[in-house]
Amino acid sequence: MEDKPLDTHESLQVISSMIAKAKDSYHDTGIVSILWGTVIGLCSLATWSQIQFDYKLPFDIWVLTFLAVIPTVILSVKENKQRKVKTYDQTAMDAVWICFGVGIFLVVHANNHVFQMVGELKSMVESAGEPRPAQSFLEYYSAYMLVLYGIPTIVTASIKNFKPMWVGGIICWISALVVPYTNIKVDMLLMALSAITAWLFPGIILYCKTLARRKAVHV
Amino acid sequence: MFKDLDPILHSQLRLAVMSLLITVKEAEFTFIKEKTNATAGNLSVQINKLKDAGYIEVKKQFKDNYPQTLCSITTAGVEAFEKYVRDLQSYLQIGTT
Repeated sequence: MEDKPLDTHESLQVISSMIAKAKDSYHDTGIVSILWGTVIGLCSLATWSQIQFDYKLPFDIWVLTFLAVIPTVILSVKENKQRKVKTYDQTAMDAVWICFGVGIFLVVHANNHVFQMVGELKSMVESAGEPRPAQSFLEYYSAYMLVLYGIPTIVTASIKNFKPMWVGGIICWISALVVPYTNIKVDMLLMALSAITAWLFPGIILYCKTLARRKAVHV
Repeated sequence: MFKDLDPILHSQLRLAVMSLLITVKEAEFTFIKEKTNATAGNLSVQINKLKDAGYIEVKKQFKDNYPQTLCSITTAGVEAFEKYVRDLQSYLQIGTT
């Protein structure tokens, strides 16, 4: 491209081609989505399995969500360093997902505090039999988590106009509507379904697109 | 009546740079170079012209021990670009009537 004067049609052509090029400048690799879809899906299914088959893992499976924060931060920093351009879309989505992460932490923190406060009642509830306090507590807050899962998913779907995430986000909110009326086993299955449809499947689709783009560049 | 098109924007490379920057928050020099297929020297000159006109902001910093030049459009740049597009539209309307 040179520093030459243009006629009106050439000007419009330059504007539209550059805007199209800029729009095509950033693509999510989907790796973080795959990671979180897998982790939340796995934790929910493991919790369901413990209740269904009446066994207990030697550790709290949900600790995996805290561990998953480490690769998420590493991947995000790496992707940010590789980015040559900062788009408005990406800035908005980064803010939404950071708010989501902080929001989840605050909800978990508040709920754990409440759970500890009612700890004294645990033995009373346990002696009375089912439901186990930990289970009924999970049942209590899975709806809040599903509402939170849906918010950044639907915002991302809307900004990126990405249908698979729309579907996943809506499934999160429908699940949030349903879980107050279902038992913990169904709640955990719905949570797994939500995580898989909201993040794992869309993440896989994005990753396949990234691979296809890389292949096209190298051909 | 024909309106004078902004001479700063009415050049292929400068218009391309502005069109890129209007759609993004911030872009590296290397990104602009890659998208416009311009030479580094020519692009540098045109970026300086846009900067002197107050249409873009240029930030120079270091990233992993390498110099990095970041460009972003200013409010004056957005206004100038919008006016340029409006003027272009009026030209086209006159041309079609």
